[in-house]
Amino acid sequence: MPSEPTTGPSFKRAVVALSGHPNGQRLVRLVGELAKAHKAEVIGVHVVEIDWSMPLDMDLAARSDEIQQILDMAEGTAESVGVKLESVLLQARDVGAALVDEAVERDADLLVIGLAYRTKFGGDFAMGRTIPYVLKNAPCAVWVVREPIPEENS
Amino acid sequence: MFVLVIGGGKVGYYLTKELIGSGHEVVLMEKDRDRATQIADEIGSVVISHDGCEGKYLAEAGANRADIVAAVTGDDEDNLVICQMAKHHFDVPKTIARVNNPKNEALFKHLGVDELISPTRMILGSIEQDIPVHELLHLAALGEGELELIEAHLQAGSPAIGKAPKDLTMPDNCSLFAVIRDGKATPLRADTVLEEGDKVIAIGKAECEAGLHEQLIGSQEPAAVG
Repeated sequence: MPSEPTTGPSFKRAVVALSGHPNGQRLVRLVGELAKAHKAEVIGVHVVEIDWSMPLDMDLAARSDEIQQILDMAEGTAESVGVKLESVLLQARDVGAALVDEAVERDADLLVIGLAYRTKFGGDFAMGRTIPYVLKNAPCAVWVVREPIPEENS
Repeated sequence: MFVLVIGGGKVGYYLTKELIGSGHEVVLMEKDRDRATQIADEIGSVVISHDGCEGKYLAEAGANRADIVAAVTGDDEDNLVICQMAKHHFDVPKTIARVNNPKNEALFKHLGVDELISPTRMILGSIEQDIPVHELLHLAALGEGELELIEAHLQAGSPAIGKAPKDLTMPDNCSLFAVIRDGKATPLRADTVLEEGDKVIAIGKAECEAGLHEQLIGSQEPAAVG
């Protein structure tokens, strides 16, 4: 007996990492459309990494416009696909650890993170350190959404 | 309180763990990448995998706002360099160094390290209290580390038995000030006659040790202490 058509893998609550990269819009739309089909919650998290030379609760006034733009973009994109996105701003020492902690705290069953296509010094494709950390430590499902390879590199 | 711990050996690892447990903000620096990763996996992302002897990495770890820098590597030279940079370049209010070789203690003090922790000295002190490894027992360093509190146990054959302090020729910069007899400590007066089994407490500079030994224990060369 053929199975019923599905609308993609299901989840109840997704945490989406908002890095500020242009790929973020694609990410929010993708998760938003799936969340709508499953009536799931979407939480958009932007983490500002504070280096150890500064106190963790340092004032981010100087970057407030840039941060607000990232959060507004996520909320607006989610709204455009008919989903409400709760935006969260965190200040942390390490982006990966903050994302995993937030997913655990929110009891999320999905963590979605975007991956910009870039090569390290023109050589190997670089994953950075956040994605490996999240893949290793997040207890929930993790989706890594890579942006398309720019035409000149393909 | 923000504490910067340098050295991810057993001491650094447990120190970091305890400090985090007590609610302090802590960063641990460990130059061995594998060890740093191992610790980070266990206690979280408070580990920086860099050499704490380099100023730029100390800056990266937040030495500029640290309340305490604890250098606990297994290498005295590294611990000294770290504490000196922390003190003089980053104005850290308190520096603590692990000193593995007790002979380096005076140098560390002289160069401005605020607090020294010498596991070797502690273990030796503990052993000496139970077993008289040396006839002169170093009880503590005083002041800036120049003076020492020393105990001499008068055993049969000691030239001081039957004599009073006024009859002894004490070296310069050294004085006897108390005697422990039958478990009771009393001030040592100039005319107190010393007896076998007395423990005489003296304060003096390290260089007085030979003279003190000759007067209280006998003319045999003193064993190296510490």
